[in-house]
Amino acid sequence: MVRGISLVYGLYLLLPMALLVVGSFGQSWTNTLLPSGLTGHWYADLWADPSFRKAFVSSLTVALAACAIDAVLALPLAYALYHGARRGHALASRIVSAMPVAVPAITLGFGYMIVFNTDAMPWLGSTPLLVAAHAIATLPYLTNTLLTDLRHLGLERLEQAAATLGATEWQRFTGIVMPSLRQSLLSGLVMVAALSIGEFNLSNLLAGFQNRTYPVVLLQAFYGATGFACAATVVLLLLACLAALLSSSALRKSS
Amino acid sequence: MSLVFDRVSYHYPGSSQGLHDVSFEVGDGELVAVIGPSGSGKSTLLKLVAGLETGHSGRIALGGHDMAGTPVHRRGIGMVFQSYALFPHLSVQDNVAYGLALRGQPAAQRRARARELLEVVGLADYAQRAIAQLSGGQQQRVALARALAIDPRALLLDEPLSALDASVRGHLRDQIRALQRRFGATTLLVTHDQEEALAMADRVAVLKDGRLLQMATPRELYERPAQRAVAEFVGLSTLLPGRVSAPGRVDLGFAELAAPTEGRAAGQAVHLLVRPEHVLPDPAPGTPNRLEGRAGAARYLGSITRYDFEVAGAPRPFLAEGHAPAAQAIAVAPEHIRLLDD
Repeated sequence: MVRGISLVYGLYLLLPMALLVVGSFGQSWTNTLLPSGLTGHWYADLWADPSFRKAFVSSLTVALAACAIDAVLALPLAYALYHGARRGHALASRIVSAMPVAVPAITLGFGYMIVFNTDAMPWLGSTPLLVAAHAIATLPYLTNTLLTDLRHLGLERLEQAAATLGATEWQRFTGIVMPSLRQSLLSGLVMVAALSIGEFNLSNLLAGFQNRTYPVVLLQAFYGATGFACAATVVLLLLACLAALLSSSALRKSS
Repeated sequence: MSLVFDRVSYHYPGSSQGLHDVSFEVGDGELVAVIGPSGSGKSTLLKLVAGLETGHSGRIALGGHDMAGTPVHRRGIGMVFQSYALFPHLSVQDNVAYGLALRGQPAAQRRARARELLEVVGLADYAQRAIAQLSGGQQQRVALARALAIDPRALLLDEPLSALDASVRGHLRDQIRALQRRFGATTLLVTHDQEEALAMADRVAVLKDGRLLQMATPRELYERPAQRAVAEFVGLSTLLPGRVSAPGRVDLGFAELAAPTEGRAAGQAVHLLVRPEHVLPDPAPGTPNRLEGRAGAARYLGSITRYDFEVAGAPRPFLAEGHAPAAQAIAVAPEHIRLLDD
């Protein structure tokens, strides 16, 4: 029974991706179950298209920058929430946990459009603003991952032990808490990278012409040939994997 | 360096638990065990010394210096936790050297010191291992080495053996005691295991509901408990209510026994305490304090058998032990009966 459900679900999940890969190598694909002819020229076309190349770099830059910002913000935030929640301030931690579900990204996007389209702050369309929006939209996911791990590891005991051995609060955080959270920081950043790469709503509202992210440009591909659209989507898939890989390996090296 | 508790009280907010006016002293190099049922406040006492809880009234002084204003990390107190609390991301050696690194000792020096301590606890070959590769008993030895490495002004042991198998516990108990003596560490041991307390401590403090009931050597605590609660908590016993009927005589309702009444007036209500090892099986007729009855439930424990002996009219059976249960009578020598005031 369980195996049957897993199989059906697996097919449901993988079939579209498999079809995309198949389609990206198909010569033509209209009103048939599978495309006809074998070609690599959709990828060549994609490579030759400067707007896609630019979007590729832009997406990767935004994702990695968002990862870096989230990593710096989420650790102290999760740590503070963990200690605050233990002292009974559970509300703050609940707000952070519920935020990404309760507030749609589009709300944030509209807010930014209004605030940053003024003479005082004319930053709409700039890369820093795009990065900031991605960082804020993905931050709760990373914070939640860390928070779950903090509770699970029971770091309080380890911190107490470190304190009796002479560690100040800062030394406990850097010497005990941070290294213990390395694994969950890693997996959390993979999630942040994937979310940022796939993010469409915010990017569509906030990006300028020069820094459009890949999903925004990708949308246009679907107005053209199917094979080209498939190839462009497969690249997005690869891009998400690449960003996840880069962010996690960078962290592994730094610690 | 002596550790002094002077009228220490502590209240957990919104709870009646805490400590009430606790005073005692742990002498230089002495090991004092604090025992008591859960919720008695024994762990609170330890946390206050370490500085992990603050806000008590009264005075806790180490080496004559009140520690109230000193934060945890400046107290220089070694603590061993029930859950070991070893740092999982550090090797065995780095765990032991952690406190030394914080004190800015050069790497070579702290490595040597860590080695030396691992040698002492018999884990020199494990220096480079990860914590997860060690058994519970080994982990607790690393925790002990880590606490001793900083040359602590006092050592706190919080239920150090209760997470371990019985087979490891006895051995480690002796090892901890030997190390504590060797380092001359002023030590406070908190445990719910009274046998552990009696076996390891120079003196034992019994806490209940946040109050200190008695503080004495293990022998005195067992043989001369000051009150009923202490007798009930320390060791096995039979406790029976009675009344002094005449000097040297106690009436239990179902029998009158000879017992040292120690100046108590006739008519005074008392509890009579008898330890199981003092119950004589099948004494000759005419033996003082002879009681007839029959043996009840028996527990074979290897070297001895512990059994209940029921005497007609008694509110509860006598707890006794020996090679075999008594057949028809028991006796308790008057000098082995202890009376406790109600």
